[in-house]
Parts: sequence; C-alpha cells; structure tokens
Amino acid sequence: MSDTERHRTQYTGAEREISPLVRGRGLRKEYGSAEGLVRAVDDVDLDIAPGETLAIMGPSGCGKSTLLHLLGGLDRPSTGQVWLGGQRLDTMSERELARLRRSSVGFVFQAFHLMDELTAVENIELPALLAGCSPRAARRRARDLLEQVEMSDRATHLPSALSGGQRQRVAIARALANEPAVVLADEPTGNLDSGATLEVLRLFDRLHAAGQTLVIVTHDERIAATADRLVSMRDGAFVDETRLAGGTGNLSSLIGIEA
Amino acid sequence: MQQEVVLAMLAKEPSHGYELRARLGAALGPLGEALNGGQIYVTLARLEKAGLVRTARVEDGGAEAERPERKVYALTSAGEERVTEWLAEVSWPKPDLAEFHLKLVTAAAAHLADPISIVDAQRRELLRRLRDAQRAAMTEVAQSDGALLLEGVVLRLQADLRWLEACEATWTDRRSTR
Amino acid sequence: MGGRLRLVARLAGRDVHRRWSEALLLVLAIAAGSATLTLGMLLHNVTTQSSGQSYSQTQAATRGPDLVAQSATLDNGTTSPADLAALVALSHAKGVVASSGPYPMATADLRTPTVTGGATVEGRSESPAAVDQPLVTAGTWVRPGGVVVERAFAQAAGVEVGQVIRLNGRAFTVDGIAVTAAFSPYPQIGCFAGCFGPQSFANDAVGLLWTTEAGARSLATASAPLTYFSNLKLADPTQATAVANAQDNNNYTKNPGSPNGPYLLSAQQIAHEDNNLIVNEQIVVLVGSTLLTILSIASVAVLVGGRMADQMRRVGLLKAIGGTPGLVASVLMAEYLFLALVGAAVGLLGGWLFAPLLSSPGSGLLGSAPRPPLTVSSVLIVAGVALGVALVAALVPALRAAQTSTVRALADSARPPHRSALLVRLSARLPVPLLIGLRVMARRLRRTTLSVLSIFVTVSGVVAVLIVHGRLNSAEFNGVSGLVNPRTTRANEVLLAVTVGLVVLAAVNAVFITRAIAQDARHASAVTRALGATPQQVTAGLSLAQMLPALIGSLLGIPGGFLLYNAAKHGGQSETMPPVPELLAVIVGAVLLVAVLTAIPARWGARRPVASILQAELA
Repeated sequence: MSDTERHRTQYTGAEREISPLVRGRGLRKEYGSAEGLVRAVDDVDLDIAPGETLAIMGPSGCGKSTLLHLLGGLDRPSTGQVWLGGQRLDTMSERELARLRRSSVGFVFQAFHLMDELTAVENIELPALLAGCSPRAARRRARDLLEQVEMSDRATHLPSALSGGQRQRVAIARALANEPAVVLADEPTGNLDSGATLEVLRLFDRLHAAGQTLVIVTHDERIAATADRLVSMRDGAFVDETRLAGGTGNLSSLIGIEA
Repeated sequence: MQQEVVLAMLAKEPSHGYELRARLGAALGPLGEALNGGQIYVTLARLEKAGLVRTARVEDGGAEAERPERKVYALTSAGEERVTEWLAEVSWPKPDLAEFHLKLVTAAAAHLADPISIVDAQRRELLRRLRDAQRAAMTEVAQSDGALLLEGVVLRLQADLRWLEACEATWTDRRSTR
Repeated sequence: MGGRLRLVARLAGRDVHRRWSEALLLVLAIAAGSATLTLGMLLHNVTTQSSGQSYSQTQAATRGPDLVAQSATLDNGTTSPADLAALVALSHAKGVVASSGPYPMATADLRTPTVTGGATVEGRSESPAAVDQPLVTAGTWVRPGGVVVERAFAQAAGVEVGQVIRLNGRAFTVDGIAVTAAFSPYPQIGCFAGCFGPQSFANDAVGLLWTTEAGARSLATASAPLTYFSNLKLADPTQATAVANAQDNNNYTKNPGSPNGPYLLSAQQIAHEDNNLIVNEQIVVLVGSTLLTILSIASVAVLVGGRMADQMRRVGLLKAIGGTPGLVASVLMAEYLFLALVGAAVGLLGGWLFAPLLSSPGSGLLGSAPRPPLTVSSVLIVAGVALGVALVAALVPALRAAQTSTVRALADSARPPHRSALLVRLSARLPVPLLIGLRVMARRLRRTTLSVLSIFVTVSGVVAVLIVHGRLNSAEFNGVSGLVNPRTTRANEVLLAVTVGLVVLAAVNAVFITRAIAQDARHASAVTRALGATPQQVTAGLSLAQMLPALIGSLLGIPGGFLLYNAAKHGGQSETMPPVPELLAVIVGAVLLVAVLTAIPARWGARRPVASILQAELA
C-alpha cells in the first residue's frame, strides 16, 4: 500500500474560528545534494491557534526539530511558507528574522544553552537587552520571571551551580523575557530526570493557563499527553493527529484497585 | 480490595474500619479518591469469618447517632502470620499484553480490521489515561505517597505507549511489504 | 623508552600534517623573530670580530696613517704660528717613522647642480704623499683648478668626474673620485674637520674634497680660516690610540676649554667611526628582533591555545588508555618544539642570507665585507630563543590540558569562560554590538591580553621607528639638502624591514586571535542569535572584541615607543616628538587594520546557520 493511504488530516484551525497564530503551508526542508538528498521536513501543513499547546512527537531524526526551527525563523524552508502572527517568515532576511525572533519567539532547548559566564538573572535579561530594553527595565522583568519560575533565591547563581531542572527553568524564563507570541521548546525535558521533568511540566501548564502559545517537540509521552493537540511525525511528515480531550476524572480506573 | 492490604494496615494497631479507609486514601493519593468505602467493611467481615481478624472491642456510637457502632478490629495470630507471608511474597502483576497482541494478529489474518487503526485507537485511550495521571501528578506535592504511586502509573503507561509505537511500526512495515 | 618516543613523535607528526596551514603560520612567526635575531648577532660579529677588515684594506692601499693630527686653533678659528709649529714638530717626534703634511684644510659652501651644502677641502700636493695618498678610483688625482671628491660623498651627492661644482661660488672641475683611510668616509667625517671652523657645519652633512694647496688656501675666508692636518706613521702602530688619548688628556686637563696642542686621532678611532654605520643598524635590528620575538610568543600562544581546545578529546583518549600527564604534555609539547626548531632553521638561513646587505661597509672604503660567519654560539642562541618561545607559549596550555581530568577531557567540555561581573554590568548599558563585544572579550581574558600585548608591542615599535625616522630626516642629518645620506638610507631600509615584520606578525596575530575567539564564542554567538541578535550585530561584536584591545594596545604603545627609543638609543640623543597627526594615524591605522583583518573571521563566525551549531552541541 502506498503513502497516500496513510492517515492524514488537514490541520486547520478553522474549527476554532480563530485565525491561527502560526501557519505553515507545504513546508519542506532539504539538506545535501542531488544524490544524498535528505528531506528533513516533507510537505507539512500546520496551523497553531493562539493559546494552544501543541506537542510534536516522533522518533529521533524524523524532522521534528527542523520543523521547530522553521516555525521560529532559525532556519528557512527549502520551499513552502511560514507565517507567524500575520508576518511571513520564509521571505525575510537574516536580519529581519533575528528581529522577529527577538520580539515574537522564545526558544527553549534540550541542552539549555545558557551562557556559562552569566548568572541566572543575567541570562534571563539578555534577550530584553538585545531588544534594546533599558538595563533597569530588563533587570526588573528578569526578576519577575525568576519569581514566576520559582527561582528568585537563585538569581545570582551561575548555571554551573544549578541543577538541570533549575537551568531549564531559567532557560524558560529567558524565553519569556520579551513576552513572545509563541514559545518553541525542543526536547525541553530530554536532559532531565523525572522530578525535574515534572517541574518543567508544571511550569508549562501555568504558561498554558495564562494563554501562552506553546509548541513542544518531544519524545516524552508525558509532555505529549498534557498538550491540547499531539501530532506525530515520521520521515519528515505528519502521520497522525490526536486532539486530547480533558480527563474522565475517574483516576481510580488507572490502577487495578477494585474497591 | 486485596485482603492482605487490609490485614497489613491492621498490623500497626487495632483500628476502626473508617480509620483504615482514611489511611488507605492517604497512601493512594488522588488515585484513591473514588474508592468505595463500604468495601473495607465487607472485607473486614470476611477476614473475621476466616479467623484472621478479631473484634477487639465495640465502641458505642455515642452522640454521633449516624454511626451505629464502632468495631475496633485487631489481627489474630493467624492474621499476623498471613501478613508476614504476604510481605515476603515476590508476586508481581504480569503485563497482559498477549490479548492485545492476539487482537492485532487475528484482526489482520481475518481482514476483520486494520491493525493500525486498532493500535491508533488504543494509543488514544492510553494517552488519555496518561494525561489524567500526569495532570494528577502535577497537582501532587512532590515526594508524597500519592505522587510516587502516580509516577509508577505514568511510567507503566509510557512503557505501554512505546510498545504500541513498536506495534504500529511493525504493522505498517508488514502492510507495505505485502 | 624508544617506543614511547616514537609514539610521541608519531602523534605530533600526525597533528602537524592534519593542520599544516596553522603549522606553517607558526613556523613563519618563529622564523621572523629568528631571522631578525640572527641578523642582529651577525652584525654584532661584524663590528666586534672582523672589525675594520675593509678599513685595513683601504689603509694598505692608501698608505693610511696611524695617527691624524690637526693643529690647535685660537678662539676665532685661526691657527697661530706656534700651533702650526707644534703640528710640524709632531712629524719629528719620537716613534714617528714617516709623515705627510701639514696640509691646509678649508671649509666652503658647496653647490652642485643638485646639492647645496658644505665641504671640507684639503689642499694636497699633486705628487704622491708618503703617508695617506688617497686611492683614485675614477679620474685623476688633484690638478690646479680641479677637485677630487671622496667616493661615499660623491655617490651620495651624485657627483661624477668631469662635472663642475662650485665652492664658495667658484667653479671647480671634478677631476677624480678617491678613497682614504685618514678620514671616515661620508657621512662620518666627524668633528675633526668641521666643528672648529667658525662656519661649523652639522656633523654628518659635510663632504670631503681634495684640491691643490693653492686651491685650498684660496677658499679660506676671514670667517672660515684654514686649519692644518698632518698624517703620521708610527714605529709601533698599536700605540696610536694610547698616544691620541694621552694628547687629548693633556690638552684638556692642563688647559680646559682652550687646548694648546694638536688634536690626534688614531686609525683605530677612525675605523670605529666607520663601524658606527653598522652599529646603529645592529641596535635597530636587535630591538626589532626582541619585539618580533615577543610577537611570535603571542602568535604561538594563541595558536597553541586554540589547538589545545581542539585536542581535548585526544588528550582524554590518551589518558583513558593509560597516558600519564607527563606523556600527554610531551606529546603536546613535542609538536611545538619541533615547529620552533624548523622556524629557527628558516630564520637562521634567512638572516644569514640577508646579513651582507646590511653589513657592507659602504662605498667610502675598499672591498666588500665577506658573508659574516655563522658561529655555533649564534646558532645555539637562535635555536634556544625559538625553543624558549615555544616553551613559554605552549607550556601553560599543555600542562593545563594534561592535568584536565580524563572524564572531562573525553566529554570535550570547553574551558569554562571567565566571568567579569563588572564588564557584564557595564556592557548591559551599551549598544548591542558593544555588549556582545565586551562580553566576548571578558570570556577569554588571556586571549584579550595577548591582543593588547600584540598591538602594544607593534605600535611601540612603530612609534620608536617614527622617532628614529624623524631624527634621521631632521636637519641635523641633512644639512646638505638634496643629499642622499647613505647611513640614513640604510637605517631607513632596516627600519622599514623591521616595521613591515612587526606589522605583518601583528596582523597574523590579529587574524589568529579573532579566529580563535570566533571559534570559542561559536556557541555563545549562536545562542545570542537565537535570542534575536542579528548576524551584523554579532559580527560587529566579534570585531569589536578585537578592536577594543587594539585601541588599548595602541594607546599604550605611544608611551611605549618613547620608552623603547630611550632604552635602545646609545648616546645622549633625546627623542624628538613625532607629529601628533602621525601618532593619531598610527592609532587609527592599527584599529582600522584590526577591524579589516577581523571582519572576515568574525563574519565567518557569525554567518553559519544557528540551528546547525546548536544542534551540533548535542551530538
């Protein structure tokens, strides 16, 4: 049987009757030359509504990180179009993309990517400083964010003095520094133990409740299960979409206690 | 409810049925919320009949007229023995995967259904359960008894989901090679 | 032991082979320093050992004197009969075996079609003299109405046989060109002839001419009277300097300020004057080679530091399979020591090939200096300095790498960056490129210090060169306008060579350092770009991280240049301030040059796709 018979859905946000915040059409990203051509992302259509939490799952190498980079303007598609908040990304220059990332996108990475020589609060204020914020306003915002991620007592610690979970919370706070329209997280819990994963999940949940749009690339089912919507990727394409409804409330059914 | 759990809970000290229920609820956390309280009394009655539990004393309901009487249960020596045996047991719930596996095999063989859609449906169900468990876990205090149990549930569901992924990959391969 | 040595050699060799371009640059950096050092030492050998070989040749060919005597003069410059008698008496003094003179010496204004200046004109008989008969190399010896010009001056002034020149306005035909051992060739005629005339010329701007005695007397004026010279040959020539000094002593201690006897100058003293030509160059070259050595230490340190970072994994592997810290350090060091030796060899060869260009005695003397011999000690010194450079530059990183824990080395984790809270806070107030630049600078203080040092050394050198250059071109050295001063020309050539060497090495350093910085800051700049800094801002930041140290280094280099000049000059010549615009141009030039040189590696660092860099960190 051929690929066309695969289960595929048009991922449109129409049912929500809200214009999507992020929109991708016919996205394709190719690497290498003619013979060794690799299609990291292969003809992906995607809409993400404001306030939605979308999880993208799939085995490693399926192209999910590349897709995230395309959505955040870290990379440009070979073909296809990307919009973020009504602005078209794929035709932008490097400089325009940088400006857009600065104002509208917050990145969270698996490897945290904090600056080793900067303290927690200095790391968080960096995007605001890059955006031309006054040092005082940037510092105030960074302190607020530290409080939001419950790290106020670690403001002057260097990353090397923080645990993995704490580093990731600092990185999330940094992603929020310029109040981005969308936060893009690439395997945010990939380097974390289960306790720290739970901390990060709680933080994402609070952000979600506050209306933050989130796109999370992960291979951790726990994160995927808490998203509003889950898409699975394989070989650069979407193969499945699940809209996860609210829970049944009957938790006892999860365990084998027949009371 | 497993009889041994009730017996083991009595090992601490002679207790009322409702005390046992509260302790059970604390240990299970959110997963114990929907527990049917009446079941405890039925189990206790059974255990008493079997000679593993005895009534230590009966307290009067007193001013709280709703409670008819308050039986305080204690372990008999046979009951204590049973608890000791239970603690030493290494039995473990066996993963019941064969049924689902056979469901896929038979469905495919008889062309009754697409094994992949069966997997998909199953996956959705497990994801829903995982979502419930994960949401509950996020509200729990870290390190609490309830959180620990929820973590176990979450990890089992994750393992099951990964197996479903493997099922999907294999059945997709089989379909395309045939 | 043999096996271990072979292992060390093989590992080091592979690494050189794998990154040959860097190895080549390393060799060049060390070779530049070694070559100048070799030159300095060779010139030293010329002046101290084979001193005056050309002079003795000239002395033999011209029946050169052992002592030259000049009559004492009265305060108004005229020579009393008593003083002249004292000069004549010298010819018959004990120990004098032959003599010539006294000859009258006039000072005159000199005009050639191209040159206006001064000349000292000695009146000679047309027949050959017993002592000091200048050797005619073109034309004929003196004839009435004509002059013979000293060869070095003739060349400098572009005078040829048959040409007409004017002395005190009177026309004379140039009949010949000659060399002598009785006076230092131009431009070192010294005070002997010029200083005592009322019309005193600047030391070095006076040419020596010969004409007939009558001709010389006719040039004398009331304001520029004649003085007299005799040439003496001694029974024991080795006593000449002692006799001259004794007479000098006698003159000044008995009657300070008013000498009452003839002045004496020995052949050795004249020969020494000749050598000043080379001594000056030697100082320039030695100072230059010191600066170049410092710069090559900086180059090597940067290169080694950058390579060590890349070699961390290898270090980890070596240690994991049982390499001791000592073995690891020797593998790392072996490579640089080997390259240093190659650099030293190239430098020695280069210096040896270039030496004759600088050590030739000039046209005032006969013959040419043979290629100075390369002594074992100078070879050892150059090799030692080169090895020292490599050792100093590579030891710290090598030991640090060797001491790194095996696990960390295997994980290939980079050296944690330095944190400067002050700079972080300060930079928060600055525009984005400066913010990035300052933080990049602060991350690697050692490298930033090397940048400052490299530019400081170069600018110090250039400023010192400017001071020397300013002096050489000042009136003191160029009293005769339009005249080519061979000493100035040659010194300028040496200065230019040293300057070019300094600038090239500093430029190479700037490129190395920026590349190392861009490499090191690759991850940080990728993150900064992910957070919204534009590639332009990051490029500017990386460039600024070099331009700021360049600015600091060149500002420090201005006083550094003065200190350098004062430390290196011999004699009491005080510095003359180079014009302020020139100094400003040096600072601006240094910073701009660094900006241009660093733009390319910085751009390279800032242009690579962010996603792939961040992704690579995970692999």
